[in-house]
Amino acid sequence: MNQDGTLWLAAVNLIIWTGLFLYLLSLEKKIGRKEKDR
Amino acid sequence: MKPALRWLLWLWMSVVMTAAVLWAPLVQGFAGRMGDAPQTSRIVFFHVPLAIVSFLAFWAAAAWSLIYLWKRRPKDDRRAHAAVEVGLLFCTLATVTGAVWSRVQWGAYWNWDPRQTSIALALLFYGAYLSLRGAIEDPEVRARLSAAYAALGTVVAPFLFFILPRMASFSLHPKPGTSRMDAPIFWLMMAGMAGFTALFFWMHAVRCRILALDAEDVV
Repeated sequence: MNQDGTLWLAAVNLIIWTGLFLYLLSLEKKIGRKEKDR
Repeated sequence: MKPALRWLLWLWMSVVMTAAVLWAPLVQGFAGRMGDAPQTSRIVFFHVPLAIVSFLAFWAAAAWSLIYLWKRRPKDDRRAHAAVEVGLLFCTLATVTGAVWSRVQWGAYWNWDPRQTSIALALLFYGAYLSLRGAIEDPEVRARLSAAYAALGTVVAPFLFFILPRMASFSLHPKPGTSRMDAPIFWLMMAGMAGFTALFFWMHAVRCRILALDAEDVV
């Protein structure tokens, strides 16, 4: 794997991790809203 | 988890993941055997922490199950349930990353290596826990029986993750304590382990809150 390949791999890793992180944040917000409604 | 801690976790794991790919040296003992794909040895920074955190999750589930059997608080049952679910997710990811690595390293996705067999048994054992929960309608009976089942994990999880793989006379995996690991690789793996453990507890807390909301809906 050349230098470009490892850069792509690092970028894909970061995109997947950031996506999961933002999903968890939005899920927590939704849960918070439902808990307030109770 | 406090908002500042969440963003710290994001930063921590971003640094770990970037360092694992762009900075860490290749893992000795693996890189040399990988022919034209030595970079695939970097999967060790994901595969090993995922496997260890899944073990911690199953042991935590056993501990919460024992607490439930002692105090009979529904929140402990929900904690055990969530720990098994998130633990199964981590265990599945450890299995998949291991299979990908195995294809490059040993020529096949699955070799019935003792560690591969034991992680498959762990997936079956904890998959059966979820099936058990799904099969019982009464919430109290479900909580009691599944807690008794998950409490077996105090023995089953260490047996599958640590004892069974060591009992076999032959394993494709390196024997514990025999593989040489450079300091940067070791510390980066530890940093990854800390990050994945924090991620587990965050996901676990989120899942517990969802289960609590579901329980209120049922009542």
